[in-house]
Amino acid sequence: MGELTEPFQFEFFVRGMVAATLVGLLCGAVGVYVVLRSLAYIGHGLAHSIFGGAVVSFVSGISFYIGATLWGVFTVLLINAAARRRQIGGDAAIGIITTCAFALGVALISRHGQFTRDFDAALFGEILGITSGDLAVIGGVLVLAAAVIFAFWKQLLFTTFDSDVASTYGVPVPWVEALFSLVLAATVIASLQVLGATLIAAALVIPPVTARLLTDSFTRMFTLAALLGGASGLVGVYVSWFIDVSSGATVVLLQGALFAVALAWAVARSRWPGTGSGERLAAIEGATLD
Amino acid sequence: MVELAPSAPGHRPPPHPDGEPLVELRDLSTGYERTPVLRNVDFTLRRGEFAGVVGPSGSGKTTLLRAIAGQTRRFAGAIETRPRPGERALRLGYVPQVEAINWNFPLTVGQAVLMGRWREMGWRPWPRRHDRELLANILERLGIGHLVGRQIRALSGGQQQRTFLARALIGDPDLLLLDEPTSGVDIKTRHEIMHLLGELNRAGTTILMSTHDLNAVATHLPRLVCVGEGALVADGAPEGVLTPEVLRRTYGADMLVLRRGDAIYVVEHLDDAMTGESEETPVPATPVGG
Ligand SMILES: Nc1ncnc2c1ncn2[C@@H]1O[C@H](COP(=O)(O)OP(=O)(O)O)[C@@H](O)[C@H]1O
Ligand SMILES: [Mg+2]
Repeated sequence: MGELTEPFQFEFFVRGMVAATLVGLLCGAVGVYVVLRSLAYIGHGLAHSIFGGAVVSFVSGISFYIGATLWGVFTVLLINAAARRRQIGGDAAIGIITTCAFALGVALISRHGQFTRDFDAALFGEILGITSGDLAVIGGVLVLAAAVIFAFWKQLLFTTFDSDVASTYGVPVPWVEALFSLVLAATVIASLQVLGATLIAAALVIPPVTARLLTDSFTRMFTLAALLGGASGLVGVYVSWFIDVSSGATVVLLQGALFAVALAWAVARSRWPGTGSGERLAAIEGATLD
Repeated sequence: MVELAPSAPGHRPPPHPDGEPLVELRDLSTGYERTPVLRNVDFTLRRGEFAGVVGPSGSGKTTLLRAIAGQTRRFAGAIETRPRPGERALRLGYVPQVEAINWNFPLTVGQAVLMGRWREMGWRPWPRRHDRELLANILERLGIGHLVGRQIRALSGGQQQRTFLARALIGDPDLLLLDEPTSGVDIKTRHEIMHLLGELNRAGTTILMSTHDLNAVATHLPRLVCVGEGALVADGAPEGVLTPEVLRRTYGADMLVLRRGDAIYVVEHLDDAMTGESEETPVPATPVGG
């Protein structure tokens, strides 16, 4: 018994566990819209691009959060502008912009001659290095995301389902999309320290896709995705203490395992007609990690 | 061959040439991104009308409906609408063509229909009792009351059309725009849908619908608009519009028009209609009877 509660005596561990739970919940909830709009590559690209922003702000001595926010907003605007040009293709444009930003970060690091712990955290996550300031930022972003999603629930749902028709029914689609881009950028920034640029996309995509396998209702998918994300954050960090594996990786591997179970369940159920699982399997075909 | 039976005199609802203009397109050129799809369109729809848009696939039927719905880019000309007194915009009910709907979305019939009332539902994410009563009423009226919790892919073609018709109707629209509402449904369902639309029109709803079904749908409408190669080719009652000359300019193929009493049949030479290679196998295009 003493061994199982051992990690809780360390404040940094408890902070990390709270942070991972909140970030898991946040990514799970925001990821629902990302997955349903097939924007997974945007989350992926945004995370890598903001890593570049983090390095630039470190090198130039600006606070990470200020630098990353400016960079994140800039990237979102650039992605939105690029995605509208059909000749390039949205995903190609995003790939170019975000990998260049990422490469810029890597270039600056190598020029700097040192690979500090901060960069390591921004790439792979460093849950146990979370400060109370980081925790406050994560909490603030969670409140912001919750407020936006609650207040614009119907507009977001309609825009996600069919943005053209939503505008015909009077939804201010450009505003809704801008607001969501803001929430997504804030989510990625808040998650960077916990999951690292390389794992954020997974946390945005896996819980919603798992939830989609389990339900056909939007409301239930949203709730399930947030719960799965939060639970895997909590359990993942706790387990990582004992198996001595990077916590971010443990969280994502746990989500992957949950997805595998849900998939097996859906496949098994799809053998009985009329359960709806066949449709759900078809529904996740379009969702990929990058 | 049921639908080839001549319609009884007076079966067709009368046109309403005296209603006030609800929508006016003046010299409108509209399309997507760089090039207009439709050029120099002049079109007026009056309150109480029931009009159909016909034309080959790719001619711009959907674009015409989407232009009125404010979903396209305007290159030149003007769109003018007459909203209700005290309202800023026309209330539109838009039913997209089935191909434009994401059937994999985790959406139940109830959630889809309530989208049409997102504005009236206030700030809450969830529907109030009044909203749920309205939802139940509209679903009951369309005969899909028992399907409220069903995912939208798990519906028949007719039930899918009714679901999105319900979404359009729940917002009490001034104008109902339907894109090929009878495509992909069986004959009985097509009759039911057309009957339903006729009833709505008699109760005062203005309707503009596109269809590729000349004989079973278009000839029964009071007014037809022919779209061919990016322009309006003809506009008027079916008797005046459905002539070999107009059909050749619309479809780029020769067709036979048969008239018996009040009924009009268009006999398509399928190969010609699909490839436009009318020169190779000329078909006499003479009106018969009258
Ligand atoms: N979103 C779009 N972007 C660019 N071009 C489009 C878009 N939608 C339709 N088009 C083009 O506009 C033309 C008319 O299409 P559409 O209005 O859908 O025809 P219809 O409904 O009569 O089949 C076609 O040539 C089509 O390729
Ligand atoms: Mg069309």
